[in-house]
Amino acid sequence: MEKIHTTCIYCGCGCGLYIHVEDGRVVGASPSPAHPVARGRLCVKGWLVHDFVHHPDRLKVPLIRRGGRQVRASWEDALSLTAKRLKEIKEESGPNAVAVLTSAKGTNEENYLLMKFARAALKTNNVDHVARLCHAPSVAGLSISLGSGSMTNPIKSLARSDAILVTGSNTTGQHPLVAAHILEAQSRGATLIVADPRKTQIATLADIHLKPKLGSDVAWTNGILNLIIERDLADEDFIRERTEGFEALKESVSKYTPEMVERISGISPEDLEKAAIAFAEAPRAAVVYAMGTTQHSNGTDNVLALANLILATGNVGRMGTGINPLRGHQNVQGACDMGALPTVYTGYQKVEDPAAREKMERAWGTDLPSSPGPTAVEMMEAAEEGLIKGIYISGENPMMSYPDREQVKRALESLEFLAVADIFPTETTALADVVFPVASFAEKDGTFTSTERRVQRVRRAVSPPGEARSEWRVAADLMKRLGVDADYSSAEEVMEEIAKVTPPYGGISYQRLGISGLHWPCPDPSHPGTEILHQESFPIGRARFNPVEHQDLELDPEYPFLLTTGRSLFHFHTGTMTRRVHLLNRERPRATVDINPEDAAALGVRRGQKVVVESREHSLEIEADVTEEVPKGTVFIPFHFQEAPVNLLTVHNLDPKSKIPDFKRTCVRIRRADS
Amino acid sequence: MTLNAALFLDHENLVPLIEELGKTLEVVAPVYAEGEPVFATWKGEPLALDADNPLNSPVEFFLPQKEVLFKYVQCSGRYTFQDVPPKSRLILGMRPCDLQAIKVLDEIFGTELPDHPYASKRMSTIIVALNCTSPGERCFCAQMGSGPAAEEGYDLLLTDVGSGYLVESGSPAGMFILRAHSHHFEEALPEHLKEKERLLSLAEEEITNRRPALTPEEIRRAIDETDWGEVEKRCLRCGGCSLVCPVCHCFSVMDRGVPDGERLRCRDSCVMAGFSRMTSGANPRAALGERLRHWYLDKFVYIPEKTGMLGCVGCGRCSSVCLSEIDRWSILREAIE
Repeated sequence: MEKIHTTCIYCGCGCGLYIHVEDGRVVGASPSPAHPVARGRLCVKGWLVHDFVHHPDRLKVPLIRRGGRQVRASWEDALSLTAKRLKEIKEESGPNAVAVLTSAKGTNEENYLLMKFARAALKTNNVDHVARLCHAPSVAGLSISLGSGSMTNPIKSLARSDAILVTGSNTTGQHPLVAAHILEAQSRGATLIVADPRKTQIATLADIHLKPKLGSDVAWTNGILNLIIERDLADEDFIRERTEGFEALKESVSKYTPEMVERISGISPEDLEKAAIAFAEAPRAAVVYAMGTTQHSNGTDNVLALANLILATGNVGRMGTGINPLRGHQNVQGACDMGALPTVYTGYQKVEDPAAREKMERAWGTDLPSSPGPTAVEMMEAAEEGLIKGIYISGENPMMSYPDREQVKRALESLEFLAVADIFPTETTALADVVFPVASFAEKDGTFTSTERRVQRVRRAVSPPGEARSEWRVAADLMKRLGVDADYSSAEEVMEEIAKVTPPYGGISYQRLGISGLHWPCPDPSHPGTEILHQESFPIGRARFNPVEHQDLELDPEYPFLLTTGRSLFHFHTGTMTRRVHLLNRERPRATVDINPEDAAALGVRRGQKVVVESREHSLEIEADVTEEVPKGTVFIPFHFQEAPVNLLTVHNLDPKSKIPDFKRTCVRIRRADS
Repeated sequence: MTLNAALFLDHENLVPLIEELGKTLEVVAPVYAEGEPVFATWKGEPLALDADNPLNSPVEFFLPQKEVLFKYVQCSGRYTFQDVPPKSRLILGMRPCDLQAIKVLDEIFGTELPDHPYASKRMSTIIVALNCTSPGERCFCAQMGSGPAAEEGYDLLLTDVGSGYLVESGSPAGMFILRAHSHHFEEALPEHLKEKERLLSLAEEEITNRRPALTPEEIRRAIDETDWGEVEKRCLRCGGCSLVCPVCHCFSVMDRGVPDGERLRCRDSCVMAGFSRMTSGANPRAALGERLRHWYLDKFVYIPEKTGMLGCVGCGRCSSVCLSEIDRWSILREAIE
């Protein structure tokens, strides 16, 4: 038996763990005691991470659609057909008729090569990935206010905070190792403030639990800011020395009196005041947030409001402080860093900036397109309109994870050509013309960048099943077929190229990563990496306050319930992996809609009964769970379950600033299925 | 040289000895994987015998996290079954706590109708145990009566007495190894034996000083008096305690693959809701707190009733992997204080 140190495949915590291998098979996993985040611990998904690797459902051979059926094909045929079809579409309809969706589950090396494939080979900036559906507002918002769109502090910093505001994050369920650090701070005496309409585990552990109505985040955050400014608790030295635009903020938040905030959010003036004082008086306070903040049609404003809060209280650039967006995939940070976004190359170098473009053109020895492409959800719209005709999707499952499933289906079905690479058959591979079987995390080398900007190694422990290959090879092979030089002999060689063209990754090399990895920015080989951002200055010089206003959202008396979506502790994303892990799927075998007992009584619904949840366009039959975890008027459905795909009900209600859809607030009505 | 008496093995002779044994057996030993000790197949790399007992117990070589019980192959409508033969192994450096866990498991899996997958691995494995002369922070084996000195259950037992290892045999297989490889050993001197006693009593003192002992009666009372609802509130549901425990042995069986495939047995956990939930959806231990209480009762009441031995060996792994930092010993102690 061998034990190979690698990085977990699930959430952004990026825990180090050992994969146990016997006779070429993964037979177990255990936590890594020396890993700085795991510290010898794992969440339940991490402990069981080994179970899906050899599942018989794994894709083992390339498939090509012939006569309506997907049939076994050779790699040569699958690669050639993909290159040929994408090239034909590009030549007939222009480069912007093709697009690439990369994967936050892939390595940095894979994301880099797929991004290069789109730009250098297909000559389009039509490249995006699932970050659009999670932290696009963080990238947009924090770039404006601080100059960098990622977690400002490392995870361990949270254990040293004196007050932590957790908002829109079911941390105990979705980032358990981050939750452990937060609870460590609380047991040391820190005040834990949780803002969440749901009674999640971390909310029940909180010292102060604010229960805002869905869509009222700007209002209560501004309300807290207003109280802090009124009571002279703002950090005036910090504001004077390191920020700009405070006067406008002060003016704008002054109308958010506790009474007004209570009207909008339902949070009592007493609770609001307690939270404001605890946060402002703490010597080191931090904000932690996730999808509950970003997945709204005003997601960027929510982020800007939180950034205003940490700037006004001077909580930046020190251990125990900061604004910390928790990233949901183990490498969604890395996929963004690698430029798998329609507007930027690696390291957030803008495609519209002629200097950046020239630099990449020189490095890649080819000319590059200059106008940014559409975002992921917009791509689906463009596909339905016939503007995008060919897509390569890497390990994403838009049929389950994107809003408005019926629209996604129409969009993907209307394509002239769709290639999908994945480890398991999914609802999306079912629609593909070519399916590439690729290696799982246990079968390939590369790096993942965790939520705290920690670049870490993932190590090949076993061979991929059947004919499956590492996806960086697939990307390189496709590039070669489209005339771009891509002779990489290893993932390590790809990282060498990444380091050359990506300033924050300039000092990153496999030799340096060890088990703890390195935090970017790490500009040169002698640089120790940067745990805490913005210690002396901001990339934009002074940080900027950005006043944001609450917007009243429509309520529909015909559809009186607000549906919010999310994940369960026991499953990950669209469930392709965790639903194949025996113990996890047994723990949460099917989808339920969580309904408050009062609502359930009014509807005449008991636990276990089937109900129909209807939005304006679609309806979904699903089992009811009656629980105090959701407040009256709100219902919750996780999106892991293909038997009850909640994204049938969600819609393309995009945040104008970041193009994220509003997964967290859909108006629905509910009736008993037998009525 | 008499073989029943203890022998002495020079530090330098350990590697040549296991190299010789490794010619016919797979040697499993604590080695460093990226700097941390783990039990893995030894391939000649430096041994981690001086490091703390690895976080994952070598019990996994008898009760793997996941094992193939047999493969099934369908041919013309008939199924044939292929057995998976056990490997001949030597586990070097198993600590007294893990050895005690094996003793409990032998009682559970090995008596009456023996569990074949367990028993076959057990019978094809040589255990070379290592007494704990420098116990880890998390250990409370002395309080559980399972360490720091091993008393039985090993084939060979090593004690590092500074100048080398004192080697004692505990089985015919152990004696056979000593005889067949006698050129590596010397006669142990009385001072080696004295040093062993001294080091182990120091170790025992260190362990007991760290955590005041609880009697079985006190533990029983503590389980009754603990506020399990409060523990449930804090528990982050990782299942780590039960997945890392060397005595925990619940498993789940499933078939994977149609028409051909494998019957797998994998480690299960009674702290998970699905473990006790019935097909109807009813769950006799619906609350996590009740399941955690059951886990303690199993260790301190049910297993002792069944085997005459405690179901906890004091290795401390459950506390050290606990995501919620719930120290097992402390919650019991706090409950009765």
